[in-house]
Amino acid sequence: MRNWFLRMMIGAALLGAFSLVWPDAVSVALAQGGPQAVKTIGGCPRDPASFRPCALIKAKTFDPPRTPDGKPDFQGFWANQENAAPWDIEPHPASFGVPGGPGDIVDPPDQKIPYTPEALAKRNDIVENHPYDDPQAHCAPAGVPRQNYTPFGLQFVQPLGSFVILYEAQHMYRIIPTDGRPHLPTTVKLWQGDSVGHWEGNTLVVDFANNNGKHWLDMAGNFDTENLHVVERFTMVDADTILYEATLTDPTIYTRPWTIALPFARNKDKNYYLLEFACREGEHDLQHYLDGDQSKNFNVDQKKGDQKK
Amino acid sequence: MLVLGALTPLPFIASIPDLAQTRTSNRPAYTAPRTPDGKPDLQGIWEARNTAHADLQDHGGSYGILPGLGVVEGGQIPYQPWALAQKQENFKNRETADPLAKCYLAGMPRSMYLPDPFQILQTPREVVMVSEYVDTWRWIPTYGLARYDVTDSWNGDSRGHWEGDTLVVETTGFNDQTWLDHAGDFHSDQMKLVERFTRTAPDTITYEATIDDPKVFTKAWKITMPLYRRTDMPRIMENECYMYADEAGKGVHDDKPGRASPK
Repeated sequence: MRNWFLRMMIGAALLGAFSLVWPDAVSVALAQGGPQAVKTIGGCPRDPASFRPCALIKAKTFDPPRTPDGKPDFQGFWANQENAAPWDIEPHPASFGVPGGPGDIVDPPDQKIPYTPEALAKRNDIVENHPYDDPQAHCAPAGVPRQNYTPFGLQFVQPLGSFVILYEAQHMYRIIPTDGRPHLPTTVKLWQGDSVGHWEGNTLVVDFANNNGKHWLDMAGNFDTENLHVVERFTMVDADTILYEATLTDPTIYTRPWTIALPFARNKDKNYYLLEFACREGEHDLQHYLDGDQSKNFNVDQKKGDQKK
Repeated sequence: MLVLGALTPLPFIASIPDLAQTRTSNRPAYTAPRTPDGKPDLQGIWEARNTAHADLQDHGGSYGILPGLGVVEGGQIPYQPWALAQKQENFKNRETADPLAKCYLAGMPRSMYLPDPFQILQTPREVVMVSEYVDTWRWIPTYGLARYDVTDSWNGDSRGHWEGDTLVVETTGFNDQTWLDHAGDFHSDQMKLVERFTRTAPDTITYEATIDDPKVFTKAWKITMPLYRRTDMPRIMENECYMYADEAGKGVHDDKPGRASPK
């Protein structure tokens, strides 16, 4: 678990390099069992723009299993089908170290984050000058919504009165009360923010606020601020598929709300459970990975406390 | 009463303490409220209010350690001679050698008596304990899930079951990197931990942990303490220790991987 960052990068590099050289071979290899081999999920195409409308139609006629209090029962282990969004949430081609993919944006239709010009300039500066400053590479909490497309298992637990998400990645968790309580005072800013939920029919709707604005949304320098407000929607499409949607609003950097969507597929292995993810305790790959000129940039930024938020 | 006492035969007088004890244990015990599936309801936000996180044994005050009474049954941790020397070395170096000085995962059982609160949640299939300290969860299935061959983990791999009104949690798969307190008390990767959580009053859990580790101790030993409900907290917060250290320029990130307890 310790070497996840490096493994992810190496895996991506191999996949990316391979697909550039020999795309047909890649598709054959993937069809034989790689995670990307699944062409459809829940009977819907897996790319998020096609998956979402299809899943919404299917969800209308699906009667989900229920917890004793009559709420849809999401409990168990799930794997997000992230469509290469961890590397770049916008559509992007494969490049060295980066698997290509459609990302997870479904609105606006051009699948780009609707940045203000100033915010876009900041993102582009990060890409140009500080590409290795991803807080997640420092073992920072991924935050919302990034946790939900970070490529590790997740688990839903539904005690009475709350909805709990356990994430394998960085041993993060969210307790989402569904008892109608208000958010924390707005002056309280947290890495994990504050989540409150309620049920709209068979959909769990989560309102996320109190964000500290120190996260990136992916490894490509897309970012948030402490004004971020997210509305997330979790809907079962069938017994083994969830549609996850999140609408991000932040008038300080986005010109309009924008929405991501992706499928979660149930892990049906009866023996499966999430394992410990010790990040800070053993994560020294980054220094090795950055050995060379980039490591100087990294260290300088560290000493200045310049986290590029 | 005086007359009665004077007439009471000697053997009966001798048995009075026993009688008193019987009466005490016959007092109706506290019965915890139940979850819908009939298990004792342990849910809520809990916190130890003692100095166990600083030193499990009776101790006076020293740097980073406030004086306090111990929680070890019998008073002393039964170290093997080499291990006692190691503990004393750890104590000397505690300011930097304590894994918590690097914001590392606290391990078990220490996570249960940190000064940070933790929350217990329950379903019929599991008990979940989530900690503020470095924002971590502990998942305890109670449905007989088989273990992977987990080794070398900070918080171990836990399985739970109910014995009457007590949640019993058995945990293995530890590494040798975590400490049991700030005073340098430690264990090896052979530690087997059995914890017992029993609600003994509306806002109290009696917490017991038996630590068995043949590499370090001469016999298994036990700690006992109350955990108190934080009735003043509507929700658990977060303690992102290492991010705070980074932002304050404390440079925890640049530390070499530490060995909390050298072999």
